[in-house]
Amino acid sequence: MSLRHPKPDALEQFVLGRLGSSEMREIARHLLAGCRRCQDVTETLWEPVEAFEAPPDFAAAETANDAHRDGYDIVLDRVFERILATGSQLAEQRSVGRRLYEELLQCPAERRHLLLANSQRFRNRMLCERLIEGSSEACFEDPRRAIEIGRLAVLAGDQLAVGECGGDEGLAGLTTRAWAHLGNAFRISVDLASAETAFDKAEALLNEGSVTLIEKAKVLSLLASWRKEQQRFGEAAQILDRAAAIYKKLGQWSLLGRTLLQKALICGEAGDGEGEMKLLRQALDLIDPQADPRLFLAARHNLINALNEAGRVREAFALLYHTRPLYLQAGDRMNLLKLRWLEGVVAFGLKRIDQAEAAFREVRDSFRDLGLDYDAALAALDLAGVYILQGRPADVSRVAEETLATFQSYNTHREAIAALLVFSNAARMNQAGLELVREVSDLLKRTRKHFNFHPAQPS
Amino acid sequence: MSALDHPQVESSLEGFLRQVRPRLKSLFAHFRIPPQDTEDILQQALLALIYHREAIRDEEAWLLGTLRNKCLLYWREQRRKLYDSVDATVLEVMADPVAPAQEGDDRHRDLTLALERLPERCRSLLWLRYRQGYDPPELAERLGYSPASISKVTTRCLAALTRQLIGAGVCRRKAG
Repeated sequence: MSLRHPKPDALEQFVLGRLGSSEMREIARHLLAGCRRCQDVTETLWEPVEAFEAPPDFAAAETANDAHRDGYDIVLDRVFERILATGSQLAEQRSVGRRLYEELLQCPAERRHLLLANSQRFRNRMLCERLIEGSSEACFEDPRRAIEIGRLAVLAGDQLAVGECGGDEGLAGLTTRAWAHLGNAFRISVDLASAETAFDKAEALLNEGSVTLIEKAKVLSLLASWRKEQQRFGEAAQILDRAAAIYKKLGQWSLLGRTLLQKALICGEAGDGEGEMKLLRQALDLIDPQADPRLFLAARHNLINALNEAGRVREAFALLYHTRPLYLQAGDRMNLLKLRWLEGVVAFGLKRIDQAEAAFREVRDSFRDLGLDYDAALAALDLAGVYILQGRPADVSRVAEETLATFQSYNTHREAIAALLVFSNAARMNQAGLELVREVSDLLKRTRKHFNFHPAQPS
Repeated sequence: MSALDHPQVESSLEGFLRQVRPRLKSLFAHFRIPPQDTEDILQQALLALIYHREAIRDEEAWLLGTLRNKCLLYWREQRRKLYDSVDATVLEVMADPVAPAQEGDDRHRDLTLALERLPERCRSLLWLRYRQGYDPPELAERLGYSPASISKVTTRCLAALTRQLIGAGVCRRKAG
């Protein structure tokens, strides 16, 4: 054992891990050699980690006066000044990002990559942010465009340096999100191999650990959708639990509600109706209907559907009655169509067959007008269910033929066409029952996301 | 561009910072972060806040939650430095070829005593590391851990050993 004892200050710095590595080792060696005196000194510098687990008592701490307070004031003044300066430049930076985005997308596709890789002007954090946003917006309207913009976002992120993003965290968060959104665009386009590669990359970046919590939660949410797509429901639920824990930690209740809504969908797909309803109720308690009316409406809509599916039709009807004003408030055509469809479904459950028929017919025709043939086909199958109950075999057969013809014209998804063929043949022989309609409808709903519902191209 | 070009943005951010200031000080004091180390932590959190402001619903809750997490990470990182130095020192001491026989025996006895007080899982891991020179990938293979998790397990075991050898917990800062 070295006879020279470290000074108390050095022991304190050692416990804080603030010395150089050789000094750290020297003191560690001294303590490991069993110097009781120095061990006693270090003992007084320690306290259990659990002390930090309790939430800070702000009221008590604000009135306390310790010697660090002045030190904190100086640091806070300095940081606030820098943040205010950055904040005031942010709006301008965002507008530059938007201008660059427009300029980039007006260029021919092959030139975009060249510009991002070679032009200093396009090395811009806000351009990358806008590209991520653009990819996300294009996902449901035009998945191919979402992939192209997502690729540009990844490339734009790769060109940026730490200093251009306000530090490691900024850059890591940006590139991780870019990969996750690209993966999401591939997922929606049903390019499963590419989605896997992109999500692997996003997950690896996430595991490197320098991404902010809020960005981590966003990426986890996209990753959960991917796991759901892969039918890995257990993993998807676990990932959403991680995102939920982050939102809880950050006090983001509405985003926690959104996460529970997402988890409810997983329960629904996995066939756990009770779990789905429980999560939807929790989500509804957390989502602020004033701040996020569309999200609140989506949760209510799903709950009405889940209640109806569980045979609790009267409860579904009551909730639908109270939710109708929200649909009307949203006011857009798709939400009004969703309302009308749900009215038909609930009326069917209540055996109000004429009301159900009118609603399904209206919804089917509207979807056709909008060119949304997949939804029109699903509404037509609901209508076929009504005709079966009304004992109108000719109408059942006509609906079956029409739906089959639509799917055949697109020449995609053999499984769906095969199911519709079975239904059509059964209808022709007056043997189609409600059970068969339901099976076909469930299959079409399940396979919808894998469906490329565009007119078949000549090969 | 001058800050005055966006007076509304600035005043709203300024108001928010003024409002949370006392709580930030309380939070740093609660976690006993030395003032000189708060600068990076606070700046990173506030930069993330202004860049993600549109997605954040309750800014104060978000900022305090983020800072709480960063303070815990700060201590985890500090402790890791301590564990690493203990680890390096033990490896050095055990491998020291010039130690007289008696001293070498004492070291082995001291280490054995310390290891015996650890949970079985840590005992076998650290025994292989210090007495047989296994590195982390070899430990993972021998003990059946994934390469990704061996580092976490090793850190936990080193933490337990450090507690045995030195003390427990994290540092209590002296005032001033």
